[in-house]
Amino acid sequence: MNQNPYQPIAGEVTDIIDESATIKTFVVVPEEEFKFETGQFVELTLPGEGEAPFTPSSSPAETKKMEITIMKAGRVTGLLHQCKKGQKVGIRGPYGNGYPIDDFAGKEVYIVGGGVGLAPIRSLFLTLVDRIKDFKSVVCRFGARTPDDLIYKKTLFGAWQKIAGVEMKLTVDEADGDWKGNVGVVTTICDKKDVDIKNAVAVVCGPPIMMRFATMKLLEFGFGPKDIYLSMEKNMSCGIGKCGHCMLGKYYVCKDGPVFTYEQVKDYRDIWA
Amino acid sequence: MEAVFTKELKPFLDAVAERMELYVPKKAGDYYVFKRYEPSDEVAAEFNNIRACTPVKEFLFPLCELAAVFPKTVEPEDVKPFAIFGLKDCDLRSIEILDKVFAEEEFKDPFYLKRRENMFVISSDCSEPGESCFCTVLDGRPYADSGFDLNVSQVRDGFVIEVGSEKGKGLIEEHSQLFSEVPEVLLSERDEDRSETQKQLEQKNAELRFDTPIKEIVENSQESEVFDVEAKNCVECQACTRICPTCHCFYLYDTKQKDYFAKMKMWDSCMRQAYAEVAGGANPHKVLGDRIKHRLMHKFVYFLDRYGIEMCVGCGRCVDADVGGMDLREVLKKLSEELKDKGKKKAKATK
Repeated sequence: MNQNPYQPIAGEVTDIIDESATIKTFVVVPEEEFKFETGQFVELTLPGEGEAPFTPSSSPAETKKMEITIMKAGRVTGLLHQCKKGQKVGIRGPYGNGYPIDDFAGKEVYIVGGGVGLAPIRSLFLTLVDRIKDFKSVVCRFGARTPDDLIYKKTLFGAWQKIAGVEMKLTVDEADGDWKGNVGVVTTICDKKDVDIKNAVAVVCGPPIMMRFATMKLLEFGFGPKDIYLSMEKNMSCGIGKCGHCMLGKYYVCKDGPVFTYEQVKDYRDIWA
Repeated sequence: MEAVFTKELKPFLDAVAERMELYVPKKAGDYYVFKRYEPSDEVAAEFNNIRACTPVKEFLFPLCELAAVFPKTVEPEDVKPFAIFGLKDCDLRSIEILDKVFAEEEFKDPFYLKRRENMFVISSDCSEPGESCFCTVLDGRPYADSGFDLNVSQVRDGFVIEVGSEKGKGLIEEHSQLFSEVPEVLLSERDEDRSETQKQLEQKNAELRFDTPIKEIVENSQESEVFDVEAKNCVECQACTRICPTCHCFYLYDTKQKDYFAKMKMWDSCMRQAYAEVAGGANPHKVLGDRIKHRLMHKFVYFLDRYGIEMCVGCGRCVDADVGGMDLREVLKKLSEELKDKGKKKAKATK
């Protein structure tokens, strides 16, 4: 094993899938075996340019390649969006704790996601679906700004809807002519009766504002703070709990997270910023 | 613990310098900084009565270093054994803090480890602590009793050298002709000097002896306005974090070289506005007052929760370096007063 935690392993982008105007999925094949658990993140290096943290959107069961869904949001992601197939990249990780899916067994899993937050959720979803019988049900409430911004459209409207044990509703903030579904923020498709709250856990991932309102809604429904799992987005850099950038109170999001229960972080004022 | 006596410092330091690179305190203006020992210099070395103004972290965790090469791999460069003379108890305690982060966790920093293993520590007693020194408030002392290979105390007619490790013992034994037995009277004189200096420090910092633990004072300041008030004096020069011997935030950045790519590791500062900002623009510490608060929380609350010690040794370097006039001691006093007032108000309300 590599003793230098700052050393990436080499990988290659073998395919790039356009998901929306600002979001692309990169298929990355690492040169060495690379295992991760769903919800953990990696540091992806564009050699010579920079590094940024992403939670893979593919299933951890897939060990030969990994998919990373990236929104164009800053300098490194902007440069990544200009890359072509064959681009060499560096990968460090996996880092952090991932979703404690064994603890979800026997329960209803209520997943609320928005925008590019569907990326980590896709990995979780595929992991749950692989052993769907272990869970009472998987209930999804996904949203995006417009129909065009909904990522993974093919599977969202196709295969995923047909899986036994999965129930899914979609919404957009602003509809266009063809949209026949719900219009409104994601909390407008969430209902107290969606799951049996006493025997359910909730997973929330999306833009900070959406996470905030979704969490408040879930608390209102009666979810306990310990049963709401949040995937926190902070400025993770070293990935190993040293450089300090991602600190959230006493936690290093990179090492103690990125998945936290609301209970763990609720007393810090800066969680949604 | 074993100790020996020597009349002169120079032959001892020459002996150290024969074995390894030696750094000694040299006066630069009003302060001491560490410079490479030159035996031929007119004043080759002097005994620093106070800590140097630069932090010891520079030797273990340099301002900027190569962290990785891509696609090749890089091994930590071969660090030659080196010694530093004139480190103080506060410096040794800052090493203990950095060790927690870089040498003891699940992920170890190989570059730090390499330097740490090759470092020979020759500490010395403080006999003239500075105006800004407040180590005693944080359980520090003007002398070290562990964490060194050798410790030097200045006494009448010479120096007492105490052995703190096998490495230190080896060096003394190898040059036994330079040393003699310590007269008992000099040892008691040293101990008296030490307690005298400690007493002075404690008296000077009496106002900082709070009834409530500092952790509790800072932890209860989440809603305090003190930080925003302090922010008015702060010019965001970041000197406090650079010169702090325990601040260890860093920044990884990638560069293109002629035939390879390099990942560099460089000191960063939590006082910088974009420090915690994410690509989407969200920034939990956009406001300067919040950054000052986070820095104090990290030092006195979060680090303590995680590692069991405070991330401050009371060396006062940040006080000396601050351009805008923010004084950590004054901030702690204000927060303590505020907490007392809160307590009084609460007591009144429940009556």
